[in-house]
Order: sequence, then C-alpha cells, then structure tokens
Amino acid sequence: MTQIQNDQELLELFKDPSTKEHAFTAIIKKYQEKLYWHIRRMVINHEDADDVLQNMFIKVWKGLENFREDSQLYTWLYRIATNESLTFLAQQKKRSSVSLSDDENGLTNKLKSDTNFDANKLEWKLQMGIQSLPEKQRIVFNLRYYDEMPYEEMSKVLETSEGALKASYHHAAKKIENFILNN
Amino acid sequence: MKNNTSDIINELKTVSPFLAGIEKVNVFKVPKDYFIDLDTKILTSVFLQQVEKNESQQVPTGYFDSLSDRILSKIKNETPLTAIDEIKQISPALHYLKEEQVFTVPENYFDNLSDRILDKIHLKKAKVISLNPVKKVWKYAAAAVIAGIVTISSLQIFNQKTGKEKIAASYIQVARQYKTPQKLDEGIASLSADEIAKYLEKTGTVLDEDALVKDTDTTNLPSTSDYLTDENALDNFLNSINSKSTNTQ
Repeated sequence: MTQIQNDQELLELFKDPSTKEHAFTAIIKKYQEKLYWHIRRMVINHEDADDVLQNMFIKVWKGLENFREDSQLYTWLYRIATNESLTFLAQQKKRSSVSLSDDENGLTNKLKSDTNFDANKLEWKLQMGIQSLPEKQRIVFNLRYYDEMPYEEMSKVLETSEGALKASYHHAAKKIENFILNN
Repeated sequence: MKNNTSDIINELKTVSPFLAGIEKVNVFKVPKDYFIDLDTKILTSVFLQQVEKNESQQVPTGYFDSLSDRILSKIKNETPLTAIDEIKQISPALHYLKEEQVFTVPENYFDNLSDRILDKIHLKKAKVISLNPVKKVWKYAAAAVIAGIVTISSLQIFNQKTGKEKIAASYIQVARQYKTPQKLDEGIASLSADEIAKYLEKTGTVLDEDALVKDTDTTNLPSTSDYLTDENALDNFLNSINSKSTNTQ
C-alpha cells in the first residue's frame, strides 16, 4: 500500500468507517515522533511522555470528526499535545505534597534523575537552562529551537501574536545563554 | 595712530623696560593670499548651510501617498529568518549545542505505537457497549452512580429486601428523591455506617446488574433526547412500570 502523506486525504479517509483506522494509523505514524519529542521536552521522562502522547491521540480520535478543516491538522495536533502536556504538569504539581515554585517545578529534579545526567556537560546545562524558564517561554523556546516551527504556525498553536513570540524566544535564548555561562 | 603707538610703547617702558626693548616680530605664518577671498568663502559657507537645512525639511512630492504600499511590499518580499539563522544571530553557543541529544527513547518504541493506541481505543469502545440501546436502563443507572444517588438508593432498596422484578423501577424511583445536591447530602447523612457495611458485604457491586438488565422492559424507555428535553419523560416511564407491576401482582 502506498504511504499517504497528504493530511487532506487522511482526513477524508478518516470520515469513511471502512478506512477510518487505516487513516488514523497513518496520522499517528506521520506525527508520532515530532509530537513525542515536543511532549517529552515538556514532561521530561519517557513514561510520562508516553502516557501524554497516547492520551492525546485518544482525544484526537474522538475529536477528529469535528475537526474544522480551515485550520491545519499539524497545528491542531501540536495544540492538543501542548495542552495535554500542560494539564499533565498542572495535575502533577497539584498532586505533589511539596510546594514547588515556578522555576523549581520538579522537572529539574527529573532531569537530574536521568541516568545519563552530567551537570558538567554543556548539553545538560542547556536542559537545565530551559527548565529555568517560565512555562510559556519554555514552550516557545522548544517549538522554535528544536521543532524550528515558523512563527506564523506557532502563533496558531499558542494563540499568541507573532511579535510577542519573537520577543519571547529572544528573551528565552538570552536567559538560557546566561544560565549556561553562570552555572 | 602714531601717537597711540608711542603712548603704548612708553607705557610698556614704564612697566617693563626689558619687554619694551625686544623687537616685535610675528612668529605665526598665514597661508599665502589667505585674506584675499576670505569674505567670499565665509559667505558661500553660510549659503550652503542654509540650503542643506531647507532641503532636509522637504519631502519629495507624493512620498507619503505610496509609503504604506512600499513598506508592505518590502515586508511581503522579505524572506522570514529561518530558525537556524535566527538562533545563530541570537546565540551562536545555543546553535552549537542544538545537535546534542540528551534524552533516550526505548528501542522500537515508535514501531508499534499506533497499534497500542488503537488497542486502547478499542478497549474504551468495548466498555461503552454496556450503554447500548438494548440496555438503556443503564443510562439512568450510570447517571445516578455519578451523582452518588444510586449508592443511597441501593442501600435503601437492599435494606427493604425488594424483589428482583421491581428492582430497576425501585432504583429509579428512590433516586428521584435526590433532585438537588442538598437532598443528596441529606440522603447520604441519613445512612448509618452499619447499613453501608452490611450492603457492601452482601454485594460486591453497587448495582445488581443482572436484575437491572434482565428484568426491565427497555422497549418503551424514553430516548436520551426525550429525557433531556422533557422532565416528565422519566415520570411517565416510571408510571408505566408501576402500573405493569401492579397488574402482574
């Protein structure tokens, strides 16, 4: 079977009960890695990322029939992944008996508990720097730095103006740079 | 003039005979013919400054008429900066670090991810089967469970030792008492710990599923929309069950 890449075709196939699962599988396969990494960078550990990713796709299954095709599937999926990750983090924070401040949201500890963690390595300092950012700025930074998402798309995902996103990314990058230099 | 000069010399002689004795010589040199056209130079310079000032305050005709169009076309033609170029500009160090991957993923994690997600979806669907039209009564029972009503209803019915043939109607009828959160709270408060413990010992589940499903005639149940739009729909159904029960006794 030829691999279908076009979102429009996939959405059409999803509407037909006989091809619904095939289309859904193709959508998962097409976007799974991008969305996984987006979620993973937000929740840090693999088990949590796996939970959030699976739950978000279950929501996609339920919501795809009502998906308004005037927006792109790609940005819609990113929006769900972002919201699901934020909801997960909020629930986790609520459950935590320890009071956590914004910059010490438990994610830094998760980073430190990674078996490969090495505080002296620049790449880990970078991750620590990212976790030191406020939540929204962290998302903007990840989407631009790792996913290389154009601001136009990002503004649809985060429902924020392009100008504000550019400024936020610029500040975030500078903060991380300073964090690496001073730690 | 001459008198003045001699007066000044005389004055100097009285002040400092030494200085008055030194010959007056100008040690500074001036370019040749410097003073010949100095006046013209000064006037030209003043004129030029005046012209420059006037010109800088003027705008070409129609400049503002097309300004917005020219800016917009410039913006449209401008290629957005790529993320890579942008981070190179903001922080070359971060650009350098970008390729360093720190997180790992279990091997073959992505290979069967879609199957695992579909399995979960099928599992969820399977659970929903109990709410199919054949067992419509479950809709009411499930709604009641959510509200916490059935727990009280079950306890009350259990303690009354109601017969199975009337159990479905009894659940719904008892549940009707708890229309408001306040009533529900009062209902829960009225139960003793012993009653709850006795009930839980006797039954593993909150509802007697078999009794509900087997002994209830679901053919005339109101549809979901009837139930939501007409508050008498449930009452009418209950009345019909009651009248049937009365007739069979």
